[in-house]
Amino acid sequence: MKRIFTTIIAALAISASIFAQDARQRLTTTIVGDVLAQMPAQNAADFSTNLKDIAASAPESVIILADMLQSAEKGANNKVEYVLSGVTNYVSVEGAQYKDAVKNGLKAAAAKASDKYNKQFIETQLRLLSPEAEPKMEEAVLSAKETAAKIKADMKSGKRNLLCEALYLKAKSGAFTSKDVLAALKSSDRSYRTMALGYANALNDKKLNFQIAKAFGKLSDDAKEDVLNWFGDNKAADQIDFIIETLGSKKLAAKAGVMSSAIEAAGKIGGNKAADALIAQLGGKYGEAAKKAILSFPGSLNNKVAEAFKTAEGSALDNLLDIAYARQMTNCAEKFYDLAKNGNAKAASLLKGVVTPQDASRLSTLADKAEGALAESYARAFESSLRTLAPAEMYSKAKYAMEGARNKERFFQALAKSGTDEAVADLTKAYKAGSASALDALGAIQNVKAAETLLEAGKAGNQAALDQYVSKVKTFVSNPDKRCAAYIDALEAATGIDLKKRILKELGATPTSKAFAVAAPFLKDKDLNIAAATAVKDIAAKCIDELPYQEKVDVLNEAIATLAARNMDDDVYAIDQIKKLVNEAEAPVPVSALTAEEAAQGFEMLFDGTNLDKWTGNKEGYKIQNNTIYVSAGYGSGGNLYTIKEYRDFVYRFEFCFVRPGVNNGVGVRTPMGVDAAYEGMCEVQILDHDDPIYAGWLKAHQVHGSVYGVIPAKRIVHKPVGEWSTEEIRVQGNHITVTVNGEVIVDGDIKEACQGHNVAPDGSDHNPFTVDGKNHPGMFNETGHIGFLGHGAGVKFRNVRVLDLTPAAPAKKKGRK
Amino acid sequence: MDESRRSFLKKSGAGVALLTIAPRTAFGKMGGKNNYIAPSDQLTRGIIGVGGIGNSSSHFASDQSCRLVALCDVDQNHLDKTLARAKDKFGETLKSYHDFRDLIHDPDIDIVHIATPPHWHGIMACEAANAGKDIFCEKPMTRTIGEGLRVKEAVKRNGSIFRLNTWFRFKDTFYGLGTTVEPLKKLVASGQLGWPLTVRISGATGFAWKFFWTGKENLIPQAVPAELDYDMWLGPAPYKPYNPHRVHQTFRGYWDYDGGGLGDMGQHYIDPVQYFLGKDNELPVKVEIDAPQQHPDAIGIWRSITYTYADGCRIILEGEGFESTGKVPYIEGPKGCVYKGFECTIPNVMDVINELPDPEPRNTDFLECVRTRRKFALNEENGFHSSTIVNMGIIAHRLGRTLNFDPSTMSFINDDAANLLINQPMRGNWADSLK
Repeated sequence: MKRIFTTIIAALAISASIFAQDARQRLTTTIVGDVLAQMPAQNAADFSTNLKDIAASAPESVIILADMLQSAEKGANNKVEYVLSGVTNYVSVEGAQYKDAVKNGLKAAAAKASDKYNKQFIETQLRLLSPEAEPKMEEAVLSAKETAAKIKADMKSGKRNLLCEALYLKAKSGAFTSKDVLAALKSSDRSYRTMALGYANALNDKKLNFQIAKAFGKLSDDAKEDVLNWFGDNKAADQIDFIIETLGSKKLAAKAGVMSSAIEAAGKIGGNKAADALIAQLGGKYGEAAKKAILSFPGSLNNKVAEAFKTAEGSALDNLLDIAYARQMTNCAEKFYDLAKNGNAKAASLLKGVVTPQDASRLSTLADKAEGALAESYARAFESSLRTLAPAEMYSKAKYAMEGARNKERFFQALAKSGTDEAVADLTKAYKAGSASALDALGAIQNVKAAETLLEAGKAGNQAALDQYVSKVKTFVSNPDKRCAAYIDALEAATGIDLKKRILKELGATPTSKAFAVAAPFLKDKDLNIAAATAVKDIAAKCIDELPYQEKVDVLNEAIATLAARNMDDDVYAIDQIKKLVNEAEAPVPVSALTAEEAAQGFEMLFDGTNLDKWTGNKEGYKIQNNTIYVSAGYGSGGNLYTIKEYRDFVYRFEFCFVRPGVNNGVGVRTPMGVDAAYEGMCEVQILDHDDPIYAGWLKAHQVHGSVYGVIPAKRIVHKPVGEWSTEEIRVQGNHITVTVNGEVIVDGDIKEACQGHNVAPDGSDHNPFTVDGKNHPGMFNETGHIGFLGHGAGVKFRNVRVLDLTPAAPAKKKGRK
Repeated sequence: MDESRRSFLKKSGAGVALLTIAPRTAFGKMGGKNNYIAPSDQLTRGIIGVGGIGNSSSHFASDQSCRLVALCDVDQNHLDKTLARAKDKFGETLKSYHDFRDLIHDPDIDIVHIATPPHWHGIMACEAANAGKDIFCEKPMTRTIGEGLRVKEAVKRNGSIFRLNTWFRFKDTFYGLGTTVEPLKKLVASGQLGWPLTVRISGATGFAWKFFWTGKENLIPQAVPAELDYDMWLGPAPYKPYNPHRVHQTFRGYWDYDGGGLGDMGQHYIDPVQYFLGKDNELPVKVEIDAPQQHPDAIGIWRSITYTYADGCRIILEGEGFESTGKVPYIEGPKGCVYKGFECTIPNVMDVINELPDPEPRNTDFLECVRTRRKFALNEENGFHSSTIVNMGIIAHRLGRTLNFDPSTMSFINDDAANLLINQPMRGNWADSLK
């Protein structure tokens, strides 16, 4: 762990309290720098830890941060914005004790902000901490007199919405009464009427329903509908007699709107009387509406429907059949049988909805003996009668029926319904014996064992069977490699464009590199290129890391071009998604190896990309990814990785790559484990993306990349862009350290000379006048120790780490020396 | 003529002819002899925002029952392109507007179709209601809870008919369930799954959260293109320098205009849940978030969001890449579970469901609702509730912490900052439109 120490710089020109230190002896600027490097926090705990540090050092921290905001053209404010909005969120509840200090900081920052948009941003944060300053958005309250005047004016306007407003104001002011409802119903404005009825609910006037019913006869047809709709919506049980009376009215019989509303209302209100009235309507002009009401009728109507069947004919009978079928009224089954026998095709086709396993043998006989469509209906009913049975039982009943039948094919679907392996075997045998309907049944069966035969039929040219094959694979084959292989077979056999499109779509849901490679060539097919583009996008989205780098970049770019060429607005989303995948694609990093020269010199590989066997420490936060060590260890989480061996003199070589701006890490030298190497170790050689704007203006030479932290400044280099690799060598011999980055020596110094021999203050105090950072470095003269990567937040990668041990071996081992 | 035509939408009457907005010949192409609809009975519609959903085939339509008469957009390219399309598709020259207020106050328009980014929905819906118009508003209903409340009130006050446009509560296959929502509603209402229920909206149960709707940090200011009135595009939103990523499709990644994948898809997914849980008039009392820290401008991802209702029911949203593994139920109850594809632990579940009554009929024909002045199935009230749930999640996401909510006061408990996100400041005097 390392901290970035700074001293105040004149440009900031803020109070001397910037020297204030927290419990961990850090200066405010240090805290700011540390937290900036952690942004954005990846979880709530990291968020609190970091933002608490900022809050506790407010207002200075806030002012320093606000000063770092640049004009938007520089495009580099995000981290500062994370911290400032983060600290605002933090103190608004969790860190409330720091709220005033943060507010003070924000106020001071807002006052001095010169950039308009940064000022706006700061003020927005301030607002979230200032509920007391929020302007009230309450509506103007009208006096009783004003309300009355407004209502009058609204009523006079004759405008629909103002009429409604008059009601709204009346209701709000408590002036709305039942009389208003009755008056409104006479209005020609439908909104006015329905709104008045709406407000009537709150009146709780038990007489009102009856008064409205009484006035009903004189209302316009539309108003009658409104009233009936309202009764229905309110489930006005006290008006069911009135509604039934309305349904029976000869005068209203021709008014479709009124009758439909009455029927709907009766359905919503429910009850015995309503049920009878609705059933009575089934054969009439409004039978469809009555059927709909009955289907959603609260409570069971099975007995009433069965009773109604006894006398029903014509459309009433049709409607009853629909109802009994939809509700699976098995008590009506005999009626269906009778009707079917007597040639009622509808009853026959719906019979399947009202049968149970008890019907099975009766239906199998009927299915075998009947002819044409009726036979088909009985067969479907037979199949349906078995639906609640366990598969084995279903199979045995179907098989039994089939074996005893003359027309065995009529039972294939029932057999298939069982889904059993035995059924697959039976049907396959039948297919091989030449039965086309056996193949249909194999298509329907929910059993993967049918797939083979379907593919065979597909290869022989049966596209429907091939389509079923694809369905089987989709449903049953979960192993992506197997699924992919199956789709390849299907693609080879497919001839139709639609089927090929479908297979490509399914390939898209098969995230393997093979599937990607199979789909890609179809980008060149003018009929299938869009399907292929979608497929490669979907595959890449799920397994981007498994795809070969160059292939995926090329194919995905081709997919972008394909979609872009179609020029359809909706494709923008897909194109964006693919672009993101391309941008995030990472070139593969090879396993590292020593050069011949290094090998000859005796270098030892510490990390070649394959394992961390020579390391100890936080292997959770230092993970192998794409043959690199990816540092994901968060701030303050013990994010260090150490060599198992200890070293005294050595040459340490590695490559590093920042994956996000502002990353902070370091190499600990001759350090014990679990301590702060910059002080308790010989030293820490800084690894820092010091070009990030979060460090602009205040980072000292003894803190930049390569510096011997707090002791020997480094020559400041310009880093390669984020995402590119750099090489580094650290050579330690006695008290001498050299640091070389990308071939350039940036530190070459003697640590003892740098502090004039005083690693700690001669007077025993905390302030050491001999070190650049004024701190004590008690571990500086360590003889030996571990080498370590010292985590200070996520976002850096290392590879090809090797070491040459220069330590003179003990005399006994003299021979082994180079 | 600022008289609303609607009060005169009667089947007969001397006044009608005077208010006719188009000659009968204009409909010759569409109406045959037998299905002729008198212009006075024909409803009319104008679309605000034709760069995205407003230009989709389902909405860019014009027929006898409802004629498209005007378009509005602040991007001249979008407007020109769509006007040309109208000529191609309907053979008509539509009126075009730059300022939505002109479209709203056009006396020839009955229905205002709001298809803009969400930061405009509240203002436009209130303006339209106050102008006596009916409203067809794309989801999400509003970008803030406060705007939603105001829309609800303005619609009520003016007696408008309001349709929020997401439709899974009444039609279409319900995402990963492979069925419409009705059988789920029946099953839940039957009590066979027990109570309370947990609903998991996740890639693992068939729902995609569209995490590509994330914003970008450090946007470099760019010149505003000539065709775009950026100031009007922003409207109530804080003025921030133009960058193309802020506008058009990608606006969804910024708090100022929307709420990321949650803002975009949340109401589609959560609204039907409210319906089948029978919680159309309820709101959760708690929302928990697991997400990385959020940037104050650009919206990032989240890992999970959990809503809890007072009775213990929960809705769990799992972010893209953070889905539960293995087989997880979409609905989980103490007595049974429903999985993707309507797989259910209750044996012969369809037999159970079929024997139950259908849910109460709902008014799902918007034009019929406009004519009969009945509430649409998804309206300013239930729509407000599902929109509020989305907004609760967005606020929790933005602040990165658990929020407790009191539905009776419509405010968060002991969280001033969260409450300050219920209503958000508007630039200029746009807030006046909400009054």
